[in-house]
Amino acid sequence: MSHFSILSIFRMVCLVLAWGIAYSAYPQNQQSKFEKLNPKSSGINFKNQLKEDRENNILRYEYFYNGGGVAVGDLNNDGLEDIFFTGNMVPNKLYKNLGKLKFEDITKTAGVQGKSSWTTGVSLADVNGDGLLDIYVCYSGKGPVETRKNELFINLGNFKFEEKASAYGLDDPSHSTQGLFFDFDRDGDLDLFLLNHNIQVINEMEFDAARTGKHPFAGDKLFRNDGGKFTDVTEQAGIKSFALGFGLSVNSSDVNQDGWPDILVTNDYIEQDYLYINQGDGTFKDELSSYFSHISHFSMGADIADLNNDGLQEIFTLDMLPEDNERQKLLYGPENYEQYDLMIRRGFHHQLMRNMLHLNQGEGQFSEIGQMAGISNTDWSWSALFFDGNNDGKKDLFITNGYYRDYTNRDFLKYKGDYYFKQAIVREKADTLHLVTSMTSTPVHNYYFQNQGNLSFQNLSNSAGFEEKNFSSGAAYADLDNDGDLDLVVNNLNQTADIFENQNSTGNWIKIRLKGPMNNTFGVGTSILAYAEDEIYFLEQQPVRGFQSSVSPVLHLGLGEIKKLDSLIITWPDQQIQTIFQTPINQTLDLSYNPNYSNKTQQNPQQQFLKSIPAPDFNPSSSTVNDFKRQPLMVTMPSHLGPVLASSDLNKDGFPEIFIGGNKGTPARIYTFKEDVWEVYRGFRSASEFSDGVAIFQDFNGDGFSDLFLGSGGYHDYLSEDESLRDRLFLNDGSGVLVPQSNFPKYLISTGTATVMDLNQDGFPDLFVGGKIIPGKYPESPSSKTLINDGKGNFSDQSSEFLPNAKLGMLTGSAAQDLNGDGVEDLILVGEWMSPKALIWENGKLVERSQDYFPSNLSGWWNTLKQADLDGDGDLDLILGNFGLNSQLKASDQYPLNLYANDFDQNGSIDPIIECYLGDGMYPFASRDELLDQMVSMRSKFTDYASYSKAKISDLFSPDELKKAQKLSIHTLESIVLVNNGKGFTPKSLPRIAQSFPVYAISVLDINQDGIMDLILGGNQSLARIKIGRMDASQGLVLLGSETGEFTPLSSSQSGIEIKGDIKSILEFRQDDKTFLIFGINQKPTAVYQVK
Amino acid sequence: MKKITLSLLLILGLTGSIIAQKKALDWPKIYADQLFKITEVMVTDVASPPVAARIYAYTTLASYLAIQPSGTRFTKPDFLSATPIQADKFQASGSGVTNFEFPAIYAMLLVGEKVIPSGYLLKKAQEDWISWGLKNKIFQKKDLALYLTFAQDVADFVLEYAKKDGYIQLTALPRYSPKEGEGYWYPTPPAYMAPVEPEWRTMKTFFLRNLTDFDPKPMAPFDLDKGSSFQIQLEEVYTVTQNLTEEQKLIANFWDCNPFKVEFSGHMAIGVKKISPGGHWIGITGIAAQKANLNFAETAYIHALVGLTLHDAFVSCWKAKYDTDRIRPETAINQKVDQSWRPLLQTPPFPEYTSGHSVISTASAVVLTAYFGDNFSFLDTSELYFGLPERPFDSFLQASQEAAISRLYGGIHYRDAIENGVEQGDKIARYILQQTQF
Repeated sequence: MSHFSILSIFRMVCLVLAWGIAYSAYPQNQQSKFEKLNPKSSGINFKNQLKEDRENNILRYEYFYNGGGVAVGDLNNDGLEDIFFTGNMVPNKLYKNLGKLKFEDITKTAGVQGKSSWTTGVSLADVNGDGLLDIYVCYSGKGPVETRKNELFINLGNFKFEEKASAYGLDDPSHSTQGLFFDFDRDGDLDLFLLNHNIQVINEMEFDAARTGKHPFAGDKLFRNDGGKFTDVTEQAGIKSFALGFGLSVNSSDVNQDGWPDILVTNDYIEQDYLYINQGDGTFKDELSSYFSHISHFSMGADIADLNNDGLQEIFTLDMLPEDNERQKLLYGPENYEQYDLMIRRGFHHQLMRNMLHLNQGEGQFSEIGQMAGISNTDWSWSALFFDGNNDGKKDLFITNGYYRDYTNRDFLKYKGDYYFKQAIVREKADTLHLVTSMTSTPVHNYYFQNQGNLSFQNLSNSAGFEEKNFSSGAAYADLDNDGDLDLVVNNLNQTADIFENQNSTGNWIKIRLKGPMNNTFGVGTSILAYAEDEIYFLEQQPVRGFQSSVSPVLHLGLGEIKKLDSLIITWPDQQIQTIFQTPINQTLDLSYNPNYSNKTQQNPQQQFLKSIPAPDFNPSSSTVNDFKRQPLMVTMPSHLGPVLASSDLNKDGFPEIFIGGNKGTPARIYTFKEDVWEVYRGFRSASEFSDGVAIFQDFNGDGFSDLFLGSGGYHDYLSEDESLRDRLFLNDGSGVLVPQSNFPKYLISTGTATVMDLNQDGFPDLFVGGKIIPGKYPESPSSKTLINDGKGNFSDQSSEFLPNAKLGMLTGSAAQDLNGDGVEDLILVGEWMSPKALIWENGKLVERSQDYFPSNLSGWWNTLKQADLDGDGDLDLILGNFGLNSQLKASDQYPLNLYANDFDQNGSIDPIIECYLGDGMYPFASRDELLDQMVSMRSKFTDYASYSKAKISDLFSPDELKKAQKLSIHTLESIVLVNNGKGFTPKSLPRIAQSFPVYAISVLDINQDGIMDLILGGNQSLARIKIGRMDASQGLVLLGSETGEFTPLSSSQSGIEIKGDIKSILEFRQDDKTFLIFGINQKPTAVYQVK
Repeated sequence: MKKITLSLLLILGLTGSIIAQKKALDWPKIYADQLFKITEVMVTDVASPPVAARIYAYTTLASYLAIQPSGTRFTKPDFLSATPIQADKFQASGSGVTNFEFPAIYAMLLVGEKVIPSGYLLKKAQEDWISWGLKNKIFQKKDLALYLTFAQDVADFVLEYAKKDGYIQLTALPRYSPKEGEGYWYPTPPAYMAPVEPEWRTMKTFFLRNLTDFDPKPMAPFDLDKGSSFQIQLEEVYTVTQNLTEEQKLIANFWDCNPFKVEFSGHMAIGVKKISPGGHWIGITGIAAQKANLNFAETAYIHALVGLTLHDAFVSCWKAKYDTDRIRPETAINQKVDQSWRPLLQTPPFPEYTSGHSVISTASAVVLTAYFGDNFSFLDTSELYFGLPERPFDSFLQASQEAAISRLYGGIHYRDAIENGVEQGDKIARYILQQTQF
């Protein structure tokens, strides 16, 4: 192994390791603790005070309450971090660090107070390459061009500065948010990305026009440093400079690990964020929509960092969704599917209002897991900073938030307008400014989340020292007192800025001060991989993070109990590599550019287990059916269920036939897979009215040829008992032609599952058919069926004989298995809003004995069930796919999800009301508009949003009404394995990443041929309420089994599966000695992979 | 502000130490003022145009029903017999009640309380009304319970009827889904609100037996070929709206009657409110009643007749709207002609054909003309509280014609929706008048 490929090998090791590490248990965490300094003691009394008057107010400038920024850096190279604050309307302040957390205001002598115009963000960077940090301050507001020219304070040493923006060509008069200095062309000096915003409201009619061309002041700009003079290269570099840009933060990182710094720009409002991938030739390409399947809507601050210590950086963007019930209820209006569709049709990406955490899976593949990580709802949030706050080796998260006026309060929209005519009635003049400034103001506390490992964060805001409610904006971290942990500096609105001293006392650390090559003296763009024992740590040098702010350029790593670093691998911005072995810790390391490895970074292609091969030409028409128009309070749409898959060699020619199920509008098809080519199979026809819920190939008439049972499911516009819900039997005529059987029993239920079993012990395959849903009457379930086969394929409905209770719930999965060892198959059932059921065959009847076999509290949103002997002990274990943990819905024993259903208002429609845990207790899930749209009687009960914002389910209904209602509950949303212990089943959670999406399909296969069964999971649900949003974190997940029964997840770049879409089925089939997997994807062509 | 001044003076006079004689009571004024309290709650609640008409129908119906047992003879024929309301019951009730004006208003407020979501806001108006009645010795204090019970009986009767008119069933029906294809309605900017009451056709009407009899003439089919009827009309909206005179702008705004116009500024959005088209015509009815010095019974009569007519006209119009599901000019022009064009008025959230204002204004005007006579001039002060000046009209039909064409100036309707809407409203009103043997 030659040493030049050390990095690539290392990265490969990291990747494989990290996905394992990420899910292993971390040692007990050191509790983070910060303490706010008294301004009197610290000397920092900067206050970003706003003055609202006729000239200066939110109506004249809509970013009036966005707040100021913070920049921290050692400006005089004395080893102490100094602090700079921007004030929107007050002068900026520069504080010299005197040591011991004492600071001195030296703004005046330094001459950096700035202009009296509206001041926004600040960045520190050594722009002229003299080894001293310079200060770049941005301006915006309604003032004339001259007042908005950004300022560059060149550091002359000893806290003397000279404003030289014009000389450098950086006195740009845009409405700027912040500047980000980085070396995009890797020529050794710092270039500037200038983030700007519009100050005009853009009407939707103008969207298209506002997304073309270049706006002189609103559009973002890129400036190339040409020997100390900056040249505007925006257009030639491919940077969008649209009027629609409402840029609120900019970050830079090598997102795709190609050695070139990329750019993330977050945009407020309708314009989506940009992820500019550096093409390496001086240009960028916005590839956001291929990297992220959905993004935050009103994106604000952002940060990029490696959160699971796998060497790959996660991307996190902030939005404005509150954590608690009350503020959510005041915020949510009606869900508008037409407006959402219009947004998509007009070329905007899927945007949803909450923080988004994009987990980096390598090779440009990301999965959004913010909700599962527990960091999605932090109210109106400005700055996000990932840093190791407790020196345990994992990066924690600090978020500032708060907006000075509750404009998004729905009551404001709906009822504040009354002011105008009420004023007219009392004959007084209406004053809009008065209206606006009389709006309520709700301070909120900042958030501190401690990284628990395993892609999960714990909210420690209160115990870590951030319980105070206020309005905070820019923030930065730095080790202000040089004690080895990072402190926080926060700029507040209308309140003195805060310094939070990190009280951490344990945990090892290392700080690294980079001395970069050429004019990039602080090594911006450098990445550092630290390697210690089994752990890896990753950092990238880019001080501009969070919001309008700039963190210390001294890099900090918490190391926990790690005693020494085995090696540090430094990749400088020019991609030259420097390695240092046996680095001492608990000290600051000064690291000068001195590469000792060549820059060969080509990666060895990873060994992937699956290879994509051509798929059948099955191309279903996309369906616009919106089930929420029929039952507005459902969570997901039951219409979009397929395609189901089944395989058999129908004509016994040695080539497999694959059945691909239809959905209303797209009839089912059968294909033959012949020598890697897909051919449409001629011996089958299906009508397009059906939605196939189940497909089973089985020789029902004993002639040696496979017949086909099709269970019709779906919802659509079907009647509650619709002809299109008829299940169908096709018998094989012996030549491979499937002939429909008109004598098959007719029962009109929307079928969710079916299982072949010999119910009457006569040796012929009978059918259990499980009902799922009654169209229009969710969550009522139809009667399930037992159909008895006379051996010739003639079935008779003998449900009353075998099923004493046929209403079994909204069934989605079933399996026949002898549970009590009497030699007769029993029946296992799962479904939505129910516990797994065991129906035991007793004297010719299926009798429910669930509690004998399944632990209690396993009620879930079960989508699928798979049998397999996972532990090789000879009995069948079960794998159950659930709704997952990555959504706004949470469920536990203490706080289950409850669903109350009844026709409460007696108007002929079922009212399904979900109650769920929201922040601090159990509340109705529906927003006020949704509830009022469902039930007229609620309109006079909750006449405004405020009255509904505190309502419990008991405020909606009387105890008697609730008692009479059907009540369903969910206690767990985790996908699990049920290990067969001989007497019953023991649940075991699947790995964390398997909980990041709803699981709809499971395949069991020894994919790496180690003799142990592996799992392939498919899922996603993109047809959910807007409030839930697209659940699409899965690209098809492979879990490698082990002898201990634990599963190790593979990232998509490791497994080779990269499927975008809702996987509803996975089928394994073979041809000769080759094994294949076909994935059924809702409203899309199938995907086919060959197992290597 | 004349109206408010007068009203304040009146109330002050009435409640002063010198008890005014009953004859001095300006009943049409009092009636209109009390009904406006209901209007205020509707404005706050943002009752949509058809919903507002339903509320006016039941509240005015209550006051009219309450007056029945008084044995008053009306100058025009009773219209209840032409409706499914079985009003006979109230000929026999109300024994002991000698003054019917007081309970009639009270019943109106009681019905308002129940049929408007925020109806609880009328509690104050009810209390004030009782105090007013006691102070003015409209009845003897010991009889208060008797009066309130009678009013409650009337209200209960009306509410019982309202309960079965299909309103609570609406939420059991599927919500609107936009149709695929060109020329169909789609939610409009800026708020892209869901369409108002897509199943309003299922509501019970008072007079119209067979809704299809009142379907408007067919609209011009969607066709963008130059010279097609639709294209010409689309072009007309586009050009007319860019060459509006100040008077035309004033007309458009005067008849805007959009209960909820959303104004955006970044994250801030605020709903600016106005009375609905029905509210405007109820206002005109009150103005006319005052000008004609009607007594209370006649005031109640004409308000109820207009209220019930408004409801039927809205049901008929709303049926047409969702039968045709036609694209709004704003959507069509933005898609096909000029992306930056915006109408003067905010496009209301429902399909275009026919123009609701044209239908209901004409229907109201025809009924009012039949009652008050043609060339009945009046000064329309209905929009004073909503920031618009008073406006004189020579006749009801002049006003309704102006209301109709205002929709073209406002850029929210094509000409055929206006002209055929006028015809539709005329037909509805004539049918109602004919049914009531006016």
